[in-house]
Amino acid sequence: MTALAIPVRNPLRRVGAGLGWLATGMIAVGTKELRGRMRGRRAFAVLTFYLVLLSVFAWGIFEFQRNAAAMYATPWGGIGFPSVALSAQIGQSLFSGLLVIETLLVAVLAPAFTSGAISLEREKQTLDLLVATPLSSFALVAGKLISALAYVFLLILASVPLAAIVFLFGGVGPEDLVRGYLLLFAVAIGFGAIGLFVSALVRRTQVATVLTYLTVLALSIGTAVVWFFLYATSGISQVGGVVPGSGNTSAGRPAQQILWLNPFIADLDLICGTSSSGYDVACSIISAVTGKPYFGTTFGGVSGFDAAGGAVAIGVAPCPPNARCAAPAVLADVVGPEPIQQPTVTGLPRDAFWPQSAAAFIATALLLTFLSAQLVAPTRRLVRLPRRRRHAPEAST
Amino acid sequence: MSLAVRTEGLVKRYDGTLAVAGVDLEVAAGEIHGLVGPNGAGKTTTLKMLATLLLPTAGRAEVAGADVVREPDAVRRVIGYMPDSFGVYDDMKVWEYLDFFARCYGLPPARRRQMIGDLLELVDLADKREAPVQALSRGMQQRLCLAHTLVHDPSVLLLDEPASGLDPRARVELRELLRELRALGKTILISSHILPELEELCTSVTIIDRGRVLASGRVADIEARLRAGAVLRTRVLGDEPAIAAAAAFFTADPTVVAVERHDDGWLELAFRGDDAESAALLARAVGSGHSIATYARAASDLEELFLQVTAREAAGDDAGQTPTEGAR
Repeated sequence: MTALAIPVRNPLRRVGAGLGWLATGMIAVGTKELRGRMRGRRAFAVLTFYLVLLSVFAWGIFEFQRNAAAMYATPWGGIGFPSVALSAQIGQSLFSGLLVIETLLVAVLAPAFTSGAISLEREKQTLDLLVATPLSSFALVAGKLISALAYVFLLILASVPLAAIVFLFGGVGPEDLVRGYLLLFAVAIGFGAIGLFVSALVRRTQVATVLTYLTVLALSIGTAVVWFFLYATSGISQVGGVVPGSGNTSAGRPAQQILWLNPFIADLDLICGTSSSGYDVACSIISAVTGKPYFGTTFGGVSGFDAAGGAVAIGVAPCPPNARCAAPAVLADVVGPEPIQQPTVTGLPRDAFWPQSAAAFIATALLLTFLSAQLVAPTRRLVRLPRRRRHAPEAST
Repeated sequence: MSLAVRTEGLVKRYDGTLAVAGVDLEVAAGEIHGLVGPNGAGKTTTLKMLATLLLPTAGRAEVAGADVVREPDAVRRVIGYMPDSFGVYDDMKVWEYLDFFARCYGLPPARRRQMIGDLLELVDLADKREAPVQALSRGMQQRLCLAHTLVHDPSVLLLDEPASGLDPRARVELRELLRELRALGKTILISSHILPELEELCTSVTIIDRGRVLASGRVADIEARLRAGAVLRTRVLGDEPAIAAAAAFFTADPTVVAVERHDDGWLELAFRGDDAESAALLARAVGSGHSIATYARAASDLEELFLQVTAREAAGDDAGQTPTEGAR
């Protein structure tokens, strides 16, 4: 008998003992899972493959940008119009590319490590051994999730040195990278929990894996299709974001909540965050999704499409906190009949979308982990649903 | 708390089929109790309910005084459960396997280390400590699984067909091991579809078929009834004294080993003899003035039951064992 079996009077101490017991169970499951996972070559093969893929991708972006720069290079030195290959822009492209490809890899790998978590235990007939122990179901599923995520986090963290290459080029700050990694962690937790839940729900691992990836696809692509369909039919004409004063605000806009579990939309917010002008596609989409105005208030009347077409004048202004400021060196062409009279802030306020998205991923993960614990065994449910009877109760004994 | 396991009218219904139909089971502490019956008799379902893996549809079940439905965690702390078919984890060493389960019971590190050494010694796997679990032979895996049920020093062991798939030598070793465990004061509830396998090991047995208990008691008593030969069921007419007189008459008769009284004047006679002697007994009873309404050999006497059970088991084995073996 362990000390925990002794009834504790004080409710606080009971809660403490309960949490301690939960931690013990999670450590037990986590230790076991990690011992299995890190043994052998597979873990390191996957890690190597992941990093090689990212490296190749980063190199490809760099080469693409370099060739583009060479194409526009002028015979007298310097770079002609359009100014595509500024160092900062290479940095931003690298950041965007790496963020998207890492999101893709996390979206593929996180469910792969969890979609067999419970169903494999059922198939290998090891689950009964666990259910017959006092190990709590929540500790079991949470331990499985955490150990699977620990490996995904290792993959994500292993890419930090690679991602740090963007600092060679500039245009992306450490705070952008930190945001990117926070989002990746949240996506890994959310998608990992989806795999875990399906694994607890479905008996066979193969079915669980297929269902998990269908869910991930539905969230990554399906939600975007649904949202943009709703957007297109909502009567809001502008695709290119919200223009202050146009009356084209959040009214009638499809709920952005639809896209909260779409990691790629959250990526766009981060990509927009590094954008020097705020005029690119990423910002347009985020503006359309959030209903937040595209420009600072002094810039009413210019639509995103206009701006994207040509360069826009930008006054040199002190950058207010939490706002995206134009980098003056990048675009300094002046257009428009009216001189700019006030300091101008361009683009969306930072963090318009991804924090909600990350929070939604984590909330979903918590909910699904709790539900998974309920599905482990019929004797381990908090609420026992009344059993449906197919046959009239027969007289027994 | 002298009863280690007690069930009362335990019922389990799966989608309309009655797997366990009102099982009453009583196992005193310190016994090795055998649960015998053919495949599909409800042994595994009963053990699973006792191990808190399944919720009973009706009835009650207690292990060491704790109710399996209301206090499952208390039950889980006192039982060691070994399923009839179990898997082993890949990528795991023998000591890690035991360490994992010890952690599930919240044992502190120092005790885990010592316990792992002791248990591997007990199940004779000490030299396999660092071996991968999936590389062990079937018998070794079986012993390891048995060891895992012991990590928290439980008072009640629920072992579902622990000898299945073992060669004769491994069976003997398992039997020795279970005797050792009983000597350590553990109550063991063990299931098997072969009565002779349990006969020498168990102190008491329960025979079940189709979810119902057919016989229960000490092995010696059941054996006596088996050896006694046929069971005659007879119904005596008359009031209480008349029935009592008839019972006394039968008890006194040398061909009758034992008499069991039931309601409505029904008597069950453990009878030793052939049909001619049975006819003579009836003639003597009628001659003594007892009014016998019914007199017949019971269809479900223990011997017949036993034959029926083993015959069905043999047939079921041929049909059911092959795919299982193939899957391994």
